[in-house]
Amino acid sequence: MIKAENVVEPKMVKEGEAAGRAIAAMIRQSSEASRLLSESEIHRRAADQHLLTSPAADPAEEVGNILKKVVEGSEDLHELASQDGSRHYYSSHFMTGAYARILLQKKGDQLRLIAETVRENCALYPRPVPLDIFTQPPFDLARQEVLEDLERMAAEEEYRDILPTTTSASRIFLYSTLHLEPEYASMLAEWLDVGQFNNP
Amino acid sequence: MAKYGGWAGKVLHVDLSAGRTWTEDTVENYKDYLGGTGIGYKVMWDEVPAGTKPYDPANRIIFAVGPLAGTGAPCNGRTAITTLWPTCWPKPLVATGHMGGQFAAKMKYAGYDAVVIKGRADRPVWLSIVDQQVEIQDASRLWGQGIRRTTEAIAQIMGTDAVVAAIGQAGENLVPMSVVMNSVSHSAGGIGSVMGSKNLKAIGVRGTGSVRIAGNKDEWEKLIKYHLSLLGANNQHVVPSSPQPWAEFYEPRSRWVGSKGRTWGAAPRPLETGTCEPHNLNRIAYRTNNAAFFNGDIAWQYTVRGNGCTSCPIRCHTMIKVPSVSAKYGIPEVGQNTCAGLNFGRSFFRTFPDGQRGMTNMEACMVGMHLADDLGIWCNYGQLQRDFQKLYYDGFIKDKLGEKEFKSYSWDKYEKGDPSFLFELFPRIASKEGELGTVLGLGTGYLLERWSMKEGAWGEDKEVAYWKMGHPKHHSTEEAGQCGLLINLQYNRDAQCHSHTNFIRNGLPLSVQKSLAAEIWGSPNAVDAIGAYTPMHPSKAKMAKWSLLRKELHDSLSLCNWMGPWVASPLKERGYRGDDSIESMLYSLATGDKKDRQELDRAAERIFVLHRALTIRDMGTKEMRTKHDLIPEWVFTDKSGKAPFTKGTTHMDRDDVKVAMDMFYDEMGWDRLTGAPTPQAYGKAGLDKVAEELGKRKLLP
Repeated sequence: MIKAENVVEPKMVKEGEAAGRAIAAMIRQSSEASRLLSESEIHRRAADQHLLTSPAADPAEEVGNILKKVVEGSEDLHELASQDGSRHYYSSHFMTGAYARILLQKKGDQLRLIAETVRENCALYPRPVPLDIFTQPPFDLARQEVLEDLERMAAEEEYRDILPTTTSASRIFLYSTLHLEPEYASMLAEWLDVGQFNNP
Repeated sequence: MAKYGGWAGKVLHVDLSAGRTWTEDTVENYKDYLGGTGIGYKVMWDEVPAGTKPYDPANRIIFAVGPLAGTGAPCNGRTAITTLWPTCWPKPLVATGHMGGQFAAKMKYAGYDAVVIKGRADRPVWLSIVDQQVEIQDASRLWGQGIRRTTEAIAQIMGTDAVVAAIGQAGENLVPMSVVMNSVSHSAGGIGSVMGSKNLKAIGVRGTGSVRIAGNKDEWEKLIKYHLSLLGANNQHVVPSSPQPWAEFYEPRSRWVGSKGRTWGAAPRPLETGTCEPHNLNRIAYRTNNAAFFNGDIAWQYTVRGNGCTSCPIRCHTMIKVPSVSAKYGIPEVGQNTCAGLNFGRSFFRTFPDGQRGMTNMEACMVGMHLADDLGIWCNYGQLQRDFQKLYYDGFIKDKLGEKEFKSYSWDKYEKGDPSFLFELFPRIASKEGELGTVLGLGTGYLLERWSMKEGAWGEDKEVAYWKMGHPKHHSTEEAGQCGLLINLQYNRDAQCHSHTNFIRNGLPLSVQKSLAAEIWGSPNAVDAIGAYTPMHPSKAKMAKWSLLRKELHDSLSLCNWMGPWVASPLKERGYRGDDSIESMLYSLATGDKKDRQELDRAAERIFVLHRALTIRDMGTKEMRTKHDLIPEWVFTDKSGKAPFTKGTTHMDRDDVKVAMDMFYDEMGWDRLTGAPTPQAYGKAGLDKVAEELGKRKLLP
């Protein structure tokens, strides 16, 4: 098992070497704790720890340059950009890109989080998604919240493809008409919720 | 020193009529059949003539294990039990049951690869096996007791390191729907009454030996660790049920349910299962919780821990502690089982007052386990419960029972979902009390016959999940299209084959499954998305053949077919590939008999073809295609009217199914018209003498 403090750094360029190592370690430790690290947080910590070396340079620009070099120079550090343009970082030693994307979507618009999760499941596996999954980690939404979100989504053109289907066991599944036909989605939901249970 | 490792070396024979025991050499007589079902079918072929009935003294019951039982190979705790099947309708034929637990290993440590029992004792007996010392003991004080008390009594005699396989009252009373059970919760269905017919109450085994590994010990250790690294959760589900930091994929219906925040709440100190990262081989046992998988999140607070078979890290049995049942129903607070056994009680009911996954549901599980696992009743993969529901709600029970007997049941309790109803029903099944108690214990085929009901009525109802010959489907067209259908044609009871479903339900995206399928079966067309089936393809026939052969291989080596084969894994760095050669690597190193994957599959084919030969001989016909490989009508229907090959239906096309059967018989080298192995197919399988015998009976195509 990899521990953040045991990761050996690849060779860094001399300028900002110590800062780069420290920032890489910050990202890895956050990922080990199942968290993304935002650029703004990195900037704050870098300032607190007096990592920045060029008194004349713009601190934000310096952090940005160090981050670029750190990400390019390592195989496990990755950058994600959220909808509002902010940048977030994670280490693939501790977190997959798929999980990181969920964490990123959680920071943004909740409707988008639900919609993108449903769309991805319908396109990739393919399958509808039980509503209850959003009440569990890492989503951790309240059930009522999700139900209200679905009502809002029904009224927005951008999310019109996200629809519910209810199984014979009265559980709600969500699917995207971009990837699953309604009857197929219903059949799959029934199979996942009832059929598999009856065919152990 | 023995030439081969793995095998214990002896097959124990017991003649209960003569009160005699003797042994023969395993390797000398059965090496080509490996063990388990291989030994079972060979003995049935050689020693039990066609026309024998299940309760005849001449019938054998063969408890057999393979060379991997009792070793450190993961998932090796299975015992195969072969006999003439009492629920097989309209004519008893050879079939097998399996039980996990600790029996397989103990039998090996005592020095035996199989115990073959024939005859009938003139009074109730139990068999005591302590290494070389084998004794037929008086069981008059055990007869009439449940499985638990029998197990305790024998353990007091033999010591607590003995393992006891016992029947309950159901088996004693010759109820066909009965089990033999060992290690508290590990049962083999369909066998109990055959033991009962022999007046054999139990087998107790204590073994002080060990299993020799022929190969280099360091290599063996390395291979075990390699195998462990490829394991998923129960049923080889290789992705978690919710997004996890380490996982690229997830599947909400995966049995890999362990995660942060999910805790064994009834453990002596509540124990969090944690993220269960796949490279951490010390946390495999935390991945699966079948009580939670089937009964919802409510089960976590009642979970004590997982439990299971010798040398299996999966722990697919869940031990649960439900304090409310003690005062409410007068039963112990703790119970354990998995899958159909865990759900035995709850599956009788259509509804509970507090919903499908509430407290009453949990209590019904507890009551069901308490009763069924002690009385030794079999559910036949849930067919008992489905039959009961259909018979009740369609009015048959009311029609067929006399008024007095009908009124003797608390049907209001049943309809409300009151688990105490089971106390009225189960003892009557175990003792054949009344018409309902008797008919439910017969098995579906004989039940329908006794009540003058047509098999076709069951065959048309998809919800009843009936397949043929008195038994249900088992992972058929509902999830595996043509492959599932072909698998379900082959046996004389439900197929019990999980090779294909373990792959289909592994949780990986379809694109990844197709990529793996292309490597294993030659084309991505071997697998379809569920409910989006495509026309038959030769690779589907290859997948069906592979699934069947691997099932027989596992049942002969003693590997768990509820876990293997291991062709997918949770490891992203391997492209989620498992290793299709795990079985042959384990076999070769354990026994010293080096066989690659194809060679070992040929041994499996020998075993599978021998089973086919037994069916042909005992049915007295070579017309397997039309008389044995039968398909229920529900397979060809869809209530919503959707046509085959459209999305949203598992409705099969009749012409396509004919093509599927043709392709499968071709793949096996069998005759298309009859579905029977040809002389060449028997020859290729090393069964020339079998072919000769069938030829004399004009049973060759």
